[in-house]
Amino acid sequence: MRQTFHIDFMKKSKIFFCVSLGIMLVCLVLNIFVFPTLVDIQFTGGTIIKYSYDGDLDTAALEKTVNETIEKSETLNDTVTFSYSENLAKSAQDSNSKIVSLQFTGNKAVSVEDKTAITEALQKAYPDNTIKEASSSSVDASKGTNFFFKCLAAVIVAAVLMIFYVALRFRKIGGLSAGVMAVVALVHDLIIVYFVFAMFRMPLNDNFIAVVLMILGYSLNDTIVIYDRIRELRRKSSPKTPLNDIVNTSLNQCMVRTICTSITTIIAIGSVLVVSLIYNIDSIVSFALPMMIGLISGSYSSLCIAAPLWVMWRNHQSKKKAALKASESKETSKKSKKKKAASEK
Amino acid sequence: MKRIGKPVFFIVFVIILLLAFTSVFGIYGENGDFKITYIKGINDIRWGIDINGGVEAVFAPDNKDATDDEMESVKAILELRLVAQNVTDYEIYPDFANDRITVRFPWKSDEKDYDPDKAIEELSATAKLSFRSGSSYDGDVIIEGKDVKKAYSNYQQTAKGNYQHVVVLELNDEGADKFAAGTKANKDGTISIWMDEECISNPSVSETITTGTAIISGSFDASSAAKLANTINAGALPFGLKVESYSTISPSLGSSALEAMGYASIAALICIFLFMLFMYKLPGFIAFIALIGQMAISIMAISGYFPVFPSFTMTIPGIAGLILSIGMGVDANIITAERIKDELWTGKTLDGCIRNGTKGSFSAIFDGNITVIIVAVILILVFGPANIFSAIFGVSTTGLIYAFGYTLLVGVIANFIMGVGASRLMLKSVSGYKFLRNKRLYGGKKSS
Repeated sequence: MRQTFHIDFMKKSKIFFCVSLGIMLVCLVLNIFVFPTLVDIQFTGGTIIKYSYDGDLDTAALEKTVNETIEKSETLNDTVTFSYSENLAKSAQDSNSKIVSLQFTGNKAVSVEDKTAITEALQKAYPDNTIKEASSSSVDASKGTNFFFKCLAAVIVAAVLMIFYVALRFRKIGGLSAGVMAVVALVHDLIIVYFVFAMFRMPLNDNFIAVVLMILGYSLNDTIVIYDRIRELRRKSSPKTPLNDIVNTSLNQCMVRTICTSITTIIAIGSVLVVSLIYNIDSIVSFALPMMIGLISGSYSSLCIAAPLWVMWRNHQSKKKAALKASESKETSKKSKKKKAASEK
Repeated sequence: MKRIGKPVFFIVFVIILLLAFTSVFGIYGENGDFKITYIKGINDIRWGIDINGGVEAVFAPDNKDATDDEMESVKAILELRLVAQNVTDYEIYPDFANDRITVRFPWKSDEKDYDPDKAIEELSATAKLSFRSGSSYDGDVIIEGKDVKKAYSNYQQTAKGNYQHVVVLELNDEGADKFAAGTKANKDGTISIWMDEECISNPSVSETITTGTAIISGSFDASSAAKLANTINAGALPFGLKVESYSTISPSLGSSALEAMGYASIAALICIFLFMLFMYKLPGFIAFIALIGQMAISIMAISGYFPVFPSFTMTIPGIAGLILSIGMGVDANIITAERIKDELWTGKTLDGCIRNGTKGSFSAIFDGNITVIIVAVILILVFGPANIFSAIFGVSTTGLIYAFGYTLLVGVIANFIMGVGASRLMLKSVSGYKFLRNKRLYGGKKSS
């Protein structure tokens, strides 16, 4: 069969493992000490209100106005974190180009009355800045917890279905060990997706769940195609051919397909990412960026992690078996010698 | 191999072009001043609140436990208030297991300064049911919500002997006394029933009712009788509604997002076309035609192209799913094209290579799509409005990802029709033309 690439995956496998582990280790350290994981109000409960405004605004004064309004309210006693951003693409209906976002720390939903009070206070204090409510979202803590468990249930159901599918599919390919290694590759990709969220300071939300599920499906598909090729090649080649060579050839043959499919998928999601960066659509950036990196990781882990890991495992097993056989035969020979000695006496 | 006729390529090609054109632009007719929609195009797609702007709110009863009948009443009153606010394009999802109701509605297109806070407050206000003498709101209040025990619809024989749908109204003792006085005063006149400031029924009084049980008859059918009964019950609810969570999005944020996603899909299509043409030549070109067909089918599934399928509320993640399914869809063509290349390098004839290549690749394509289908179905279940998951964990706070699952699923199905079915027909048909039989066009070595 035709083969375009000649890369010795098995020889380089240690480098791949080191790169993967290294990236994860660096991200983990950063995650713990520098960029703690953020969780969206969809899960924790809480409120975010975004106002669009025009011209320059004294941010310190604005924050004071908001805090004063909160003090006046009987039901509100949260502190607010402010963040400012600029929307590059202006729309026809709204000439406001700047956005201030108010995040309330409490995990109770801010009531509609309190929100109206804040909006009115801001509009009264800064009449020249044409302050408008751009968006708001408010979630009750109990509702957030519910939603979180629902997402968790979904991921678990998906994982169980995938493992069931793996068990079914891999019975013919490489048995249990191949299935386990495929799952290891999946876990690798999910960890990478999680770190993308953590490193880019994107809060875990429904986008995270969608990306996680998507990558589960995509990466598993890639791995199955590769294992399928390994099985095909093993059947065709003589039983004496070392597993290393078979897997290497399979990986090189599959590479074109895996890379081409990845490229078209990345082109698709990449154009979404670029456009949403230009238009400053946060909700899509936090969807497209982890999806893109997850897709890359998915193809990489199928080629460079799942298959080499399986070969290492198989080689390790066969060595162990050989060693066991050797020691067994030694034992029996010793015993027979002793027996001989005893009978001689 | 059974040869596929040369014209097949053009037939498939024209069909795809027709599908693409009609799914994007729709077919409209004119009847005088009226515009008739024969086939819905892109402009008829119902956009979600993240694009059009709008409100989503989850309401829950003040006291936690409400019966299913009470939830029906809550739903009835929310619908009534939405219509009273002139909102007709709403979605409402009751969740009986957790006593919650999700309401979602877009901004009205003509309204510039719509106040979302006011809209939510009006929806959650305590229901004010009143029976007033005469048919105007100024009439004296006879009884109020607290006087009503319950209302229900019934199918019964009237005095004239024929069967009809009616609403039976049961009052408590205090209400019965007041109602007796009221019906006495208004005998042969009218008593109007009001929810907030909305007249919901205008029955005439035929006799004085002292028993505390009244029957409202008229031209009811089963559903309108049930609706009136539900609305009256809503006014008698022993609890108010609280807003558990809400989100509002102004239309200015969303409209630029739609434009952005439009550019993204065009950019993705062009880049993939160039890539496929460069990598796979003729099969790559055919893959692109199939891709257009796949897009057309996906758009049809969203816009409600066929009247049997209702139109779907499309969100930004939904469009992202559509674009992603373009990228993943060509996988089918890539696998087939690679197989054909493999076969060509073994030196077989072109027809044999195409036959073996298409035959051998189907199981791999099918396999790959299974996992994506599993994922898409789960996404639909988790983020969809009401299903097996919501029975346990409640209706989702956000329905945006739901559309992502839907477009992903539709994309995979469309991919089977176009990327697998149509592209094979086209490839086999095209290979019948002499000038297209050069193996290099299929990625093989120069044919001698």
